[in-house]
Amino acid sequence: MSTYVYAFTGASHPLPVDGLAGVGERKPALRLVRQDGLAAVVSDAPENLRAKRRDVEAHERVLDTLLAAGTVLPMRFGTVAADDDAVKAELASGAKRYTRLLKRLGGKVEVNVKAVYREEAVLRELLLGDRELRTKREALQAADGGSHQDKVAFGQRVSAALDARRSQDADRVVTELRPCASAVKLGPPVDGCFVNVSFLLGATEREGFEASLSRLRQELAELAEVRLYGPLPPYSFLAPAEAGD
Amino acid sequence: MTVMTQASGGGRSGSLYDVIELILDRGLVIDAFVRVSLLGIEVLTVEARIVVASVDTYLRFAETASRLELTASSDTRTVPELVEAIAEDGDGSRNGSRRLVQGRKEGSR
Repeated sequence: MSTYVYAFTGASHPLPVDGLAGVGERKPALRLVRQDGLAAVVSDAPENLRAKRRDVEAHERVLDTLLAAGTVLPMRFGTVAADDDAVKAELASGAKRYTRLLKRLGGKVEVNVKAVYREEAVLRELLLGDRELRTKREALQAADGGSHQDKVAFGQRVSAALDARRSQDADRVVTELRPCASAVKLGPPVDGCFVNVSFLLGATEREGFEASLSRLRQELAELAEVRLYGPLPPYSFLAPAEAGD
Repeated sequence: MTVMTQASGGGRSGSLYDVIELILDRGLVIDAFVRVSLLGIEVLTVEARIVVASVDTYLRFAETASRLELTASSDTRTVPELVEAIAEDGDGSRNGSRRLVQGRKEGSR
């Protein structure tokens, strides 16, 4: 039977996996595969695994529990090895790299920041800051709303202005929070959010980060809602490319 | 996952959904292991969350932008455009403009 892999950790991690259920309908028990001073947290892989809410939650619950107890290298959801021996072999061949990663991420967590505009507030600002847009708006109002085509054209123009504004405000969020963090990584675009960005925070950085975040929230209060998620396992900070950050 | 400060409220599943793209698109990828195909997934489609501009979006923007009240009260926003807009139009009082500029300075540390 193949082996589902949740995370790699150092062998000194407390590994509180007893009683935790793994992914799949049968909620398999977790077990450990140890090699070269490292440990992998694994379970039997279910047949026909898919990204069901139940299974994504199970995956995440395991990682959360491990994160609360120590440093963890989270696997991407859905990672399956041929068997436990294949996991051992990977730990052995990658021991240097994983040990280095664990050291670099020691005691650090990821937090994710997403910000969403209050739509009317941002549109009002765009109009107030853009005379051409106001002129077009007045023309539409004078024409009793205008034709379908006129409306689409105006909406398109508003949308373009909003795109420019998004990237400007996204830069602002990143610029204000970056100095408080060990590393920063932009996330993929997410519907409705003008910024989706993750930060890597050491234990001593969290207080300063939260202070900067609450200042930013106040500054943007009327315009946007800034949401913070975490602490999360360092999903976004595992690539060698981030080593120099 | 716990939420460090109050975010969007809601339960655990709400929080999960809010970082689903990290769980599905980030994390360690190991060449020697396979990854389950995410094709045909139910409920949790990342694609559905990507912004798609459409005619419907444009119409909604047009509709909202047309009916908004544009009274530029001095306590609205503290962004450069607004300061410029008020300066250009001359419809903000001297005090109003000054207050806005001041607010912006305080805000931009």
